[in-house]
Parts: sequence; structure tokens; C-alpha cells
Amino acid sequence: MTLHIDIEKKLGTFSLQVKADVSGERTGIFGESGSGKSTLMHLVSGLMQPDKGEIILDDQCLFSSFKKTNISAEQRRIAIVFQQAMLFPHLSVKANLLYGFKRCRTENRLIKPETLIDLLKLQPLLQRGVEYLSGGEKQRVALGRAVLANPRLLLMDEPLSALDDTLRFQIIPYLRSVSEEFRIPYLFISHSLTEMQLMTDHILEIKNGRCIDETTAEQLARNRMAQSPNGYINLLHLSCPNQQRGLYSYKWGNNILFVSAGEQAEQSLFELSSREIILFKKHPEAISARNLLDCRVAEMFDSDGRVGVVLSANGEKLVAEIVRQAADELDITIGSSLFAAIKASSFRKLA
Amino acid sequence: MLDMKNSMKRITLLYVIFLIMTAPAMAGELNLSVAASLKEVINELTASYIAKHPATVFVKNFGSSGTLAGQIENGAPADLFIAANTEWMEYLKKKNLVDGSSEKTFAFNSLVFAGTTKKHVSSMNDLPVLEKIAIGSPKSVPAGEYAMAAITKADIATKLEGKLVMAKDVRECLMYAEIGEVDGAFVYRTDALQAQKAKLLFVVPQKLYPRVVYPMALTVKAAQNSEAKTFEAYLQGAEAKSVLRKYGFLLK
Amino acid sequence: MVLAPEDITAIWLSIKVALTATAISLPFGFTISWLIVFKPFRGKVLLEVFINLPLTLPPVVIGFFLLLLLGKHGWIGKLLAEYGIVLIFTWKAAVIASATVGFPLLVRSIRLGMESIDRQLIDASRTLGAHWYDTLLTIILPLSFRGILAGSSLMFARSLGEFGATIIVAGNIPGITQTIPLAIYDYASSPSSTTMALSLCMVSVLISVSVLFLHEGLTRKLDRSRAL
Repeated sequence: MTLHIDIEKKLGTFSLQVKADVSGERTGIFGESGSGKSTLMHLVSGLMQPDKGEIILDDQCLFSSFKKTNISAEQRRIAIVFQQAMLFPHLSVKANLLYGFKRCRTENRLIKPETLIDLLKLQPLLQRGVEYLSGGEKQRVALGRAVLANPRLLLMDEPLSALDDTLRFQIIPYLRSVSEEFRIPYLFISHSLTEMQLMTDHILEIKNGRCIDETTAEQLARNRMAQSPNGYINLLHLSCPNQQRGLYSYKWGNNILFVSAGEQAEQSLFELSSREIILFKKHPEAISARNLLDCRVAEMFDSDGRVGVVLSANGEKLVAEIVRQAADELDITIGSSLFAAIKASSFRKLA
Repeated sequence: MLDMKNSMKRITLLYVIFLIMTAPAMAGELNLSVAASLKEVINELTASYIAKHPATVFVKNFGSSGTLAGQIENGAPADLFIAANTEWMEYLKKKNLVDGSSEKTFAFNSLVFAGTTKKHVSSMNDLPVLEKIAIGSPKSVPAGEYAMAAITKADIATKLEGKLVMAKDVRECLMYAEIGEVDGAFVYRTDALQAQKAKLLFVVPQKLYPRVVYPMALTVKAAQNSEAKTFEAYLQGAEAKSVLRKYGFLLK
Repeated sequence: MVLAPEDITAIWLSIKVALTATAISLPFGFTISWLIVFKPFRGKVLLEVFINLPLTLPPVVIGFFLLLLLGKHGWIGKLLAEYGIVLIFTWKAAVIASATVGFPLLVRSIRLGMESIDRQLIDASRTLGAHWYDTLLTIILPLSFRGILAGSSLMFARSLGEFGATIIVAGNIPGITQTIPLAIYDYASSPSSTTMALSLCMVSVLISVSVLFLHEGLTRKLDRSRAL
């Protein structure tokens, strides 16, 4: 998928000017509220017209003020997953799901309803009305509806922002499985770095109506480490929990981690703030923290006066955050051997 | 406290003055409830009466006799009632609302059919060819009651079903005929004479309906009113008769 | 309760006129509401004022204007007369009178219904491939149903009671245009017919109450069918 955007739009006092080239299947659009992300989405989908410029998707010109082209939203085959689901209240779940499918030309109907309904586990909901579905159920249906329209591009406008934390990270596996199974390229819009890390490869950073950076989720997380309230968020996939003496032991790659807030589920996603990791040059013989990892420094980076230390722990990656002074004092360089201490209570379960 | 008393006194004084001022107006006021077809006649007669009795003030109410009777029954102020048939006079007599001893006959009239239709209409039997015919609502308009009697007697009632447009009085009938929204209307001869656009097409044969008679009487409340009695006597006089003749009313 | 055969005719006529007026107004009311709510265009305010005019004018004034327009000398009346169509003093005129008087009520209700539709739902249907007429039929129409229902009931009830415009442009013709209000007026002019008038009044009340109950019942059914 290639998307070429070069557009201008003025809305009252707010002006948007974005010039970017997007390629790849998992792209993110990152920015704070009011930065223009939603406007950009409306312009790409055809719901709003730019004042000037061009939008070209996969060699098809969707909009051009020079050539006077403007393909209507109905014909662009760009589907949207809205923040508030926006399911049609007078139609059943099944009718909602098939709405776009029915309006898709037969030759374009590559995704079959049965497959999708299975994947998103929507079977039990099919005959129900949409009013009394839970938030998570609504978003799954919204996702299903958008995907069944067999779009060339999927726009997800903060699809998880209206959900609470536990729900949010339960839906992400559905989003990923749909993406992997059907290979529909998407633009994922959000202000959450964690969601970006999980859902996207390439990111456009938008601020005040301008595209200020084209980067990766990883790079963005690193850049924002110092200003972010929780530093760099490490996302750890843990498995095989074993409850012993009030703590859960998990496998993390070739490591074992002890976590207080664990659960019985076989696979879990945990987050760990870079600020919760204390580094030791030498093995601290006795320590209250239940986790002590033997690591090697793989990389180091600067972030606004802080230093991010990328550690390699038996093949797994961990980013710790320390002040410049500490880095100098401990004389940390690439290749250094360090011990990382993490309290069991520092891990937060996401899903 | 003293202020309040003073203003109360002032208000009462003003009120009394107001009453005194309006009293003369009420004293010489004569309320007339008159059948619609007599409008021009009564207007002319009251005008010449005022010329001779300048203190008199007339309050005139023209309408269909049935409506007027209903108003009087419900307490509307009326001193003299002139109806276009005996039915409504009898109605009020039975309810003891008019003074039977003051009842006199004012005039007579005849029923005609007038209209703007181009079709050939010269008798009752020609009427079914028309689309719309205006008639005073027989429930309250004497002209309509007379017309209905004639229609029934002439045996064309079923043929005219759905063609009859109900009017609230005979003048509305005339109006419908004048503007041409109906082909013709049953009105009095005196009304047809006033018409500008509607032509008198034929006179309804007298044998088909009872005579049109205008009884007049004083209401019970005005029975002792000398002004009212004087005016009623005036309406019986030579001058009144000449005005009636002028407008085409019959005197016997 | 005493009802003469003409009264029964008046009742059927009232219902027929009210139903017809509502039925013919619905498509126009729906289209105009849709234009006002969803389509931006210049002079919209003028349209809105024009539509709402019958609400503020006395019905007799409306009747008078209709008479001017549709009468023998009116410019629409003259045109129709050439094709042999006469509207004045027919039941069609009664329908037109009721439709004109009730139209603003219909549009008002439908508008309210449409305005409550979340615009993003329309965005959603567009991005799923529905063209404007598709969205209109599959999304806007079903979601404004409540408004349409409310407007129709209101208009139907208003038509049943329509007098001023009707008597001017359709006249009081028993069997053809004499609806319940006109029949009651006839009775009311005559002091000896008060019981007959009362009977018809009772019927009028009964019909209005039934319409209101029907409206409530249908609205509830509509709400329940959504909340599965």
C-alpha cells in the first residue's frame, strides 16, 4: 500500500498542512487531541474535502485540486472504525456486519463473513440489537463491519480510546489477527504510545496540523521517554504462570520473572516502566527486589537529558532510564555488563 | 396609611364618574337582532330615525334568524328581534323571551334562484344539471328552510345530494353566487336585486314553500322600554313601508 | 348519543380527508425535512419561514389565500380549469386545506427526528459504500421513523379539527366536504340542535383519543423492537 498525501485545509483558526508518503501495512498517526489527526482521517476518507492538494492511494488519484478530481467517500473503498463504534442502532449485529459487504462489488468480496465472524468470535451476538452490547463487543462488531466492506485501506480513528484499559488490550489481539489474516493495510490513529507500539510499524507524528516527523513506534517511544509520565513503556509477553508464595513466576523468553499482580492465563501482556528498573554495576548480593537480571548493554540513546539504556537479557530486550549523571558515574557503555533489578510489583498487566 | 386611604377615595370617585359617563350611553341604546336579508333596509331606516331622534344609539346585529334566536336564548342583549320566518319567533315565544303582545308583521318576501351559471336554468327541474348550489343551512337559516321545502316538494332532493353548499346566512349564499364558486344560490328576491354579477334565473313557485314572512317583536326585557316601542311603531309607519318597497320587499 | 346519517357521513369524510391529507404530505414533508437538515444551501431560512407560515396565520387567512390561488380566477385555478379540473368546493379542497395547515407540524416533527441522528452514522454508511439515496433509505428513513410517526399523528389530529381554511376553500357541503367540525358548526348555529352537536363532539374526542393511543402504542413498539 502506498499513500501519497499533500494537502491543505483551513477550518476556522486551525490550519492543516500535511505532506507525507506512507507505505507498508501497519501505519500509525500519532498526536495529541486537537493536533489534526481526525481531520486528516476525514480528508483521506473523502468525508471532507481539502482546500488544495492531492491524495493518491496505490496509484489512484483520490483527490486533486489541480486536476479537479474528487472521488466520493462512497467510492474510495476506505473503511473507518470509529472511536464510538457508530453501529447502526436500528439494525441487528448481523445486518451491521453485512452493511458494507452488501455494497461491495462481487469481484471485490475477498473476505467472507463466516471467516470474520469466527475470527472475532461474533457468532453469539449475531441476532442481537446493538444497543445493549458492551463497549468491547461494539468495537469488535465495528471492526468486523469495516473489514467486511473489503476496503483497500482501513482507517482506525482512536478505536480503543473509548474503552477502559483492560478492554483495550483485549481488543488489540483481534485487531492484529484481522490484520494478519486478511492483510488489509491500515492507518491507526491514536494518542497512546503503547497502542502505537503494539499496532504499528511506521508512524506519522502530527502536531498543530503539521506532520512533524515520520518515524517508527520504537523511535517515537524513545524520543518521548523523558517527557512521558511513565518513561519508556516496556511491553513484555509473559507465559506459563506459576503461583508460589504470593507471587507469580512467569517465563519471559529464557528468563524467569516474578510478578505480584499475576493471573492464571497462559499468555499475558505486561507493561514495565523504564523508570522502574534500577541498574547495578556489580551484583548486589542481597536485595529486596525479586527480579535481578543479568544483562548486556546493547544500545544507548539520549532523550532530553535522560539516558535510555537498551539491555539485552538472554535475548530479550529491556529499556531502562537513568539520568546522565548516573550513566557517567557508572561508566556505562555499549557492551557493559549490568544487573537490572525490578520489583515484582512494578509489572502492570495489560491483557 | 393615610396615603392608601386617599388613593382609594380617588379611585372610587373616578369609577363613579366613569359609570355616570357611560350611563347615558346605555340609556339610549337600542339592540336590534335582525335577519340578514333586511340589512340595507334597517340601515336606512335607523339612519332616518336617528335624524329625528338624535339621542338614540343603535347596536345592530345581522345574521341568520336561527343563530340570532340562539344568541338571545343565551342572554345576548336584544331589544327588538326581526326574524325571516315564524319558526324562530315561535321558538323564542315558547321560551318566554319575546313579548307576544308586541308581535307584528314587518314585511314579506319571495324566494328565487340566482347565479352566474351559463347553463340553461329556468325552473326547479333544471337544477340537477348544475354542479354546486348554495343554500342557507336549513338548521338555522330561514332562506335555507324555505329552499329545502321547495326542493323536497319539487321532488329533486335526491338528485341534488352532494351539490348543496351550506351557507351561514342568506347573504353568504349571495356571496357564493356572486363570486361564481357555485353555479347558483337560493336567495330572496330582494337579495337578487342587489346582486351585481349573479342573475335572477327563476322565481321559485310559491306553491312549493310556505310564504316568507318577517315577524318582529320586542324582547321581554324591552317590553317596557318606551324607546323600543317607539321604534317598533316607526317600523310600521309609512316611511318604513316606502323603504321596504324600494328594496323590493312585499307588503302583503 | 344521537347520530343522524349525515353525521355518520361527516365522520367518514373527516377520517378520509385527514388520512389523505397526511398521506400526500408525507413524501413532501420527508423530503423537505431532509433538505433542511442535511443539505446546506442558500436561502434555507426563507424556506423554513415559508413552511412555518401556516402555523402562525389564522386558518381563515390560509383558506382565503388558497381560495385566491385555486379559485376560478386564481392562477393555479385558471390553469387547472383548462384541463377541466376544479378543486374549489370539492373534497380535494378540504384535503388541500388540511394538508396546508398541518404541513408545518409534520415537518417540525420529522426535522426533530432527523436532527437527532448522529452525523457520524451517516459518515459510517458513506464509507461503507452507500450512495446518498442508499443512506437516505437505509439509515435516515428508519432512524427518523419516530419523528415521522409523531408528525403524522399530529397532522392527522390537526386535520380532523380543521375548520377555518376548510370552510372557506371547500365550503360546507354535506356528504362532500362537511367534515365533523363543519357539521358541528352547522348544529351550533341552531339553538335547537345542541344535543346533536354534543354527540358529534363526543365522537370527535373519541377519535382524537384513539389516535393518541395508537401513536403511543406504536412508539412503544418501535422502542421495544430496538432494544433487543
